[in-house]
Amino acid sequence: MSGHNNVSEKAYVELRGVNKHFGDFQALKDINISISRGRLIAALGSSGSGKTTILRMIAGLETPDSGEIVIDGKVVNDIPGSDRGVGFVFQSYALFRYMTVYDNIAFGLRVKKWDVATINQRVKELLNLINCEGLEGRYPSQLSGGQRQRVAFARALAPNPQLLLLDEPFAAIDAKVRLELRAWLRKMITQLGITSIFVTHDQDEAIEVADEIIVTNKGRVEQTGTPRELYVNPKTPFVASFIGNAHPVENYDQFQFFDRLGEGTRAIIRPEFVSVFKKGENKQFVKSAEEGVVEDVIFRGSSLELKLRLHGVTIPATRSVNDSIIEIGETVDVFIHRLIVVDGEKIIVQHNKSLKKESVVI
Amino acid sequence: MQMNRENAFIKWTLIVGCELFLALFLILPLVFIIQTAFAQGLATYCNSITDQYAVKAAWLTVKATLWAVGVNTLFGLSAAWCITKFAFRGKKIISTFIDLPVTVSPIIAGLIYVLTFGRQSFLFPLLDKYDIEIIFATPGIILATIFVTFPFISRELIPVLTAQGVDEEEAASLMGARTWTIFRKVTLPHIKWALLYGVVLCTARAMGEFGAVSVLSGHLRGKTNTLPLYIELLYQGYDFTGAFAASSILVLLTIIILILRVWLEGRGNKRMELRH
Ligand SMILES: Nc1ncnc2c1ncn2[C@@H]1O[C@H](COP(=O)(O)OP(=O)(O)O)[C@@H](O)[C@H]1O
Ligand SMILES: [Mg+2]
Repeated sequence: MSGHNNVSEKAYVELRGVNKHFGDFQALKDINISISRGRLIAALGSSGSGKTTILRMIAGLETPDSGEIVIDGKVVNDIPGSDRGVGFVFQSYALFRYMTVYDNIAFGLRVKKWDVATINQRVKELLNLINCEGLEGRYPSQLSGGQRQRVAFARALAPNPQLLLLDEPFAAIDAKVRLELRAWLRKMITQLGITSIFVTHDQDEAIEVADEIIVTNKGRVEQTGTPRELYVNPKTPFVASFIGNAHPVENYDQFQFFDRLGEGTRAIIRPEFVSVFKKGENKQFVKSAEEGVVEDVIFRGSSLELKLRLHGVTIPATRSVNDSIIEIGETVDVFIHRLIVVDGEKIIVQHNKSLKKESVVI
Repeated sequence: MQMNRENAFIKWTLIVGCELFLALFLILPLVFIIQTAFAQGLATYCNSITDQYAVKAAWLTVKATLWAVGVNTLFGLSAAWCITKFAFRGKKIISTFIDLPVTVSPIIAGLIYVLTFGRQSFLFPLLDKYDIEIIFATPGIILATIFVTFPFISRELIPVLTAQGVDEEEAASLMGARTWTIFRKVTLPHIKWALLYGVVLCTARAMGEFGAVSVLSGHLRGKTNTLPLYIELLYQGYDFTGAFAASSILVLLTIIILILRVWLEGRGNKRMELRH
């Protein structure tokens, strides 16, 4: 996660208490967001959680019922989208289908009455940037998905916007090209240093591409933070179960060294919370490990994904492919480092009580 | 094998059936019209179609058609644009009302205007004061023609615009393009063929309109007679040559429009293929 760690810099884009209804349906509920200049932000949430609506608000394509939208220190609620210095890449790309690639990219510049030579130069420059030289005479229907996406990107960038908004930029692209485009887009945006917000429902995409993630759920912002913060320190049950590979466990107090923290609580366990040792391999947690049985081993290429049965519950774990081989049905030592306990809307990270003692023993 | 033979039999029966049907109900009458029109020789035919009343009727038909096409193009474009590109109250009502004229019998449509602008209407004193003649005059005929062809253009445009969505317009407006520029550069290229097709349908219907126009015209020869009305008049007067000669003008116009229509459909389809 590359960082422009200018924490002190004041927000470039801000939403303050923004609400939005569509008829009786409240699509956004008291949204507060603050984004620093030059950052690459992901709005991550399941479908229908309000991500697109947030983006459209910032672009001026929707007006909030209440609340303020601030760009570069100015409240822009009453400023039309075209004067907000925003570039928008639509989910469907929305390329002008009866215009060539050249005319698509030049459109915004012609509207702004740039002179022909400057337009020509700018379009050439952008075509070069998106590796689409020679395609300027094609129509959008004659391009591949990846090329369309890049042309849409170039068209949005052409008038030098201060803020780039991208709605599910990779959703319509097949898996292999998507990975390349992700890396490409991240490189482009970092290189240009333009403040960008992109929407996605894919957590891997958000984690890999963004400096910071805004997690949305049912019209609210659940949490904002770096991918690492969301991972290590989820603030709400939704974030705890949405980010990472989360498995729910009801009777978590049956694990040794974990206490039940009240009625109606449940726990979330992630594979990285669990260490697995072959019998006799365990040196570190000799006394505090419990015995479990391997139910399943799935080869994931770079790692092995295990399913273990422990006190009648199935829990996940991972192991490096370099570790000694573990077979299905084998009895192993299992050590659970921590659990995320969900108590209503509260989140408590509970550490294995033996950890302190163990470290003393060693 | 058996199955195929049976299918082939059905296929050929249907084809021959359709062709016979078309010949009987379309080609034969057309041939008959032409034959009757020329029954008394080329000279009589020429006389019939250059008769001053015939020419005036043809001219009135063209005039009413041009008005109808013009007004309905403007109206159709605005209605289709606002119905598909904006969300507002009363949208359902507008789209239902647009279709009304095709569901109402043309005679009723004519009567509606007679009631609205005729002597018994509360508007009449006002119209009379300013010497505005609508009923039994050219404006009435134009109004009636506009009414019956009302939905033809908007109904062609609405599905095309709906399918297109609003993304491209939004993209253009975010780049600062004005409404007129957006319409010209983004929307119009998209609906061009549908619009032309709607215009053709509207023209065809406007030229042939009889019912509503008949109620409003008052049948003043050389003044408020359109071609269809004029043909009816000749026919009632047993002037078959004249009636069929005048008909042949309408037939000719219709054939031109038919060819245009086929051509437009071809163009429209080709654009579709290019897009997908
Ligand atoms: N123009 C609209 N009219 C009515 N409902 C809308 C409109 N736009 C969005 N919504 C609703 O608002 C909610 C959030 O939508 P959206 O922001 O598009 O979600 P996301 O992009 O996260 O999938 C959805 O339930 C959607 O149905
Ligand atoms: Mg969306």
